[in-house]
Amino acid sequence: MATFSSNGKAVTTKKIFSRETAVSIDIQADKSIIWALLTNANDFPRWNSTIISIDGTIAQGQTIKLKAKLDPKREFKLKIKEFDADNRFVWGDAMGNRVYTLKSIGNNLTNFTMVEKIGGPLFPLFANMIPPFDEAFEQYAKDLKNEAETISKTK
Amino acid sequence: MTIEQFTTTFELARPQLKSYLLRITASVEDTEDIVQDTFIKASTKLDTFRAESTVKTWIFTIASNIAKDNLRAKKRWPANVTDICREKALANPNYFPEIANIMQTSPHAVFEIKEHITFCLTCISKSLPLEQQICILLKEIYEFKISEIAEILQTTEAMVKYYLHTSRSKMVSIFEGRCALINKEGVCHQCSELNGIFNPKQNFEEEKNKIEFAKKANDPNREHLLDLRFKIMKEIDPFNSKGSDLQLLHIQHNRIVMENYSEKNNE
Repeated sequence: MATFSSNGKAVTTKKIFSRETAVSIDIQADKSIIWALLTNANDFPRWNSTIISIDGTIAQGQTIKLKAKLDPKREFKLKIKEFDADNRFVWGDAMGNRVYTLKSIGNNLTNFTMVEKIGGPLFPLFANMIPPFDEAFEQYAKDLKNEAETISKTK
Repeated sequence: MTIEQFTTTFELARPQLKSYLLRITASVEDTEDIVQDTFIKASTKLDTFRAESTVKTWIFTIASNIAKDNLRAKKRWPANVTDICREKALANPNYFPEIANIMQTSPHAVFEIKEHITFCLTCISKSLPLEQQICILLKEIYEFKISEIAEILQTTEAMVKYYLHTSRSKMVSIFEGRCALINKEGVCHQCSELNGIFNPKQNFEEEKNKIEFAKKANDPNREHLLDLRFKIMKEIDPFNSKGSDLQLLHIQHNRIVMENYSEKNNE
């Protein structure tokens, strides 16, 4: 898997038949806290300003319904395609996948990476209709960092 | 540790354990059963106690495990539990005669707003996932440390922090939307309604001003208002307060309503 700079800045790579956006950030919190935040679907709107709602359970094989502020009128039906507790999960549909990865990198420090790749043979036809993800990805990473680090400081 | 030493410690912990279990189960009968089962289980396994935690933490661990087993299959309550139960109480012809009987016969049937606030906090806490409810009660009411709660719940300190933070946020949000004591738009007025029924000669505004978090309703630090609620709850023993018999009737009524409500919603 490619490595990304952990500065919370999104990077988008465009190709003819695909587009990939990635963000990576280091978070001063235990991996389990971040995992809990990322996998408790109904709690998302409380801390994640990019999400309107997620209905369903984030677990292997389950399907969720997601509404995001980037495209509030659309409801995405996404399947949880991979689920390795505390480490990585993938959700997606026919258009593409989003991969979430967590890595412990030191004393109570965790690296979070989120990558979404969309594409396919027909991608060039609708590529211009899909808004850029960069800003939303950066906000997502920032919100996650804020929330996880706040929780980590609980006494 | 000898059985005599254990029994002494258990008896010292018993009032807190009972109070905790009542707030988890909302059932006097289940509370008594779990306390009894905890004593038997712990006293027959004294040789397994490694003194890596306090005896009190060990007792609460055993009790919490039994309570979790009992509650696992039961649905959590909705945040508007008090609205649903209020309607059911008003429609139940036996409810108010039962209250009248308690008020005539029990020395523990005084209606106090503070006790109702505690009752309300118990009901709302039952709308949280069970682990979150256990965490918040153990931390805020029974003053366990995060490390001890992690041991009681057999989880990590990180997860306890997650449960605590999430449960606090949810409770702040629920009270913000519902409680008329802190929000003029709040939909729940049960404190004033019930105080009007039980204490018709009292001036509610005067009584309200005796409640610290109601007095500070405009404080932008809403977490602080939640802490003030916890402070009230901490000071009340639900089995031995001025209005314990009245509040125990209320809480058990709500539990029965919620059990039927869950069944109907499962159909």
